[in-house]
Amino acid sequence: MAEVKLQNICKRYGRTEVIRDVSIHVKNGEFITLVGPSGCGKTTILRMIAGLERITSGSLYIGDVLSNDIPSKKRGISMVFQSYALFPHMTVSENIAFGLKIKKYGRNEILERVKWAADFLNLNELESRMPKELSGGQRQRVAFARALVLEPDVLLLDEPLSNLDAKLRLKMRSELKRIHRKLNTTIIYVTHDQVEAMSLSNRVVVMNKGVIAQTGSPLEVYNSPSDIFVAGFIGSPAMNFLNGIIIKDEAHLFIDFDGFKLIIPEELRSNCEKYSGKEIIFGIRPEDITDKRFSLNNEENSIDAIIEVVEPLGDKDMIEAATGDTVLTFTADPGKTESGMHIKIGFNMIKSHFFDKETGKIL
Amino acid sequence: MNYRRFNGSRIIWILCIAVMILVVLAPVFVMFKYSISDRASVVTGGKPIPLWPYDPTLEQFRGLMSMERFFNAFFVSLEIALLSIIISLIVGTPAAYALVRYRFPGFMVLAMLLVSVRLFPDIVSVVPVVEIFIKTNLINSVIGVAMAHSLLSMPYVIFIAMGIFETIPKDLEEQAWILGAGWLYGFTRIVLPVALPGLAAAAIYVFLLSWDEFIFAYFLLAFGELSTLPVLLQKILSWTPQHNLISAISVMLSVPVIIFTFIVQKYMQAGATAGAVK
Ligand SMILES: Nc1ncnc2c1ncn2[C@@H]1O[C@H](COP(=O)(O)OP(=O)(O)OP(=O)(O)O)[C@@H](O)[C@H]1O
Ligand SMILES: [Mg+2]
Repeated sequence: MAEVKLQNICKRYGRTEVIRDVSIHVKNGEFITLVGPSGCGKTTILRMIAGLERITSGSLYIGDVLSNDIPSKKRGISMVFQSYALFPHMTVSENIAFGLKIKKYGRNEILERVKWAADFLNLNELESRMPKELSGGQRQRVAFARALVLEPDVLLLDEPLSNLDAKLRLKMRSELKRIHRKLNTTIIYVTHDQVEAMSLSNRVVVMNKGVIAQTGSPLEVYNSPSDIFVAGFIGSPAMNFLNGIIIKDEAHLFIDFDGFKLIIPEELRSNCEKYSGKEIIFGIRPEDITDKRFSLNNEENSIDAIIEVVEPLGDKDMIEAATGDTVLTFTADPGKTESGMHIKIGFNMIKSHFFDKETGKIL
Repeated sequence: MNYRRFNGSRIIWILCIAVMILVVLAPVFVMFKYSISDRASVVTGGKPIPLWPYDPTLEQFRGLMSMERFFNAFFVSLEIALLSIIISLIVGTPAAYALVRYRFPGFMVLAMLLVSVRLFPDIVSVVPVVEIFIKTNLINSVIGVAMAHSLLSMPYVIFIAMGIFETIPKDLEEQAWILGAGWLYGFTRIVLPVALPGLAAAAIYVFLLSWDEFIFAYFLLAFGELSTLPVLLQKILSWTPQHNLISAISVMLSVPVIIFTFIVQKYMQAGATAGAVK
């Protein structure tokens, strides 16, 4: 166990800056996830922590040690690559023992530890197989075992589940949680899958184009996104965004869209008031939109819409409905909606979000 | 219906393979036949040469075996071939590795320079090489010829090895470093073993090149006691011996190639990196 501190880390390849001013404080034993779209620099950050990539500027502390110039092998870290990187000419147990041999553990100690790791990850029957004789999930577990036998202070995981099929991914997710609970290692996990990020970790770092967009618990980034990027990236199906203008009359503050208006509730008034007369972006999550037929709410803040697409998901239907030129996505109980239907939809305005149109920041 | 189509294409395949085998094996057969022919089957006095010798004999081989010159040349050739493999792999493999892992501007220029020796006919490029070797006192020596053969095979070794290293993911090495390996350890324990099948192919290539090479060996050994098998063959040919003796020598020439290839191809199983990354 160790804490990891990144302070104002920058990374440039020649002239292109791929990481800008990233600061993260990973606490002892924490399970933190870096999440962001492809190419946003997650792998680069992980590789800098691992010592595989030079840090252009800023400081990296692992434990209390400034580690910018410390070679990989002395950092007390292990890493599982997205590709697993199993040594193809070695058996499963040779793969697992590789690091132990280099570190000059005794024969018996090596045997013991390899056995422990194989037990821990259910690899007992497979110890003498070659990597090519394993399934994807088994390879995955070997890569984990190889990283874990060294009892690293920090475990770095680069999209370790992305090559697995959906079912196995779910299984490995809970496996990962189990590993973390048992070993209490500090884990830094990289993924582009926001669902994975939300379900796995104590804290997520949402990245966009080489900078941190927001850091917080899964609930924080879900409920109070700091900008339009985070709002749109986290959550599935994604948040609906509408362009509107904030208008103030004697009684109410409301938001005027092309063709309909919604009243901004008292609770959000203070944030929005100073934007009156200005264009903003309104965001609302699919689950905060309801089909009025099935809700008992007041008539305020509802609009007419035509159902365009109904996509049955089993436990619910995903629905796309149009009002004028805008299309809204929301979910409803299954089997009760058909395309072409005219309905009234309501907005749970308390849960809505307002973003500055220029900066994309939350109001 | 499906069955018939399958059958038709199968027949074509078998035909192709048969033709290929015939083309490759016909000269080998003729050579082998001569090498065990008795004198009457070679000097027929106008009659057509028989498809199989009238009286097969190992006479030629017995003659060769008792020929000290032949034995000496055989071992000189073997020594030179093995030395060439060692030199060109020891120099070529790290060079290829460096070229692949640390791509730099002007890479293609260097790649062209590497093959430049082979851009000219051997009979032309042998002149400067011999001149340099005379100055450095390397003519008339096994090591000298081996160095010349390494020079000839080096570009190919480097290109083959580069092709291999390109298929070895960098992840493997980086993983080794993270697990505590130094650069050298990672190279020798991970990269080289994974590259071995491909390097074996390169070794076979060097062996063949060196074993058969004549021009460089001839000029470099011209004024000394040593000769390689091709050089010896040339000397023997200069007194126009019979077909059967030449063929016997040729058979003897090809045996080590076959044995060597057989030994080395064991390391050439396909798919060395299978299972490494997915
Ligand atoms: N050697 C390099 N030279 C120049 N640019 C690079 C280099 N390596 C990566 N980049 C750039 O840095 C950016 C971040 O890459 P990185 O691999 O960290 O992305 P990522 O967030 O891991 O994406 P993914 O989810 O696709 O794995 C990318 O835009 C990439 O093009
Ligand atoms: Mg990546």
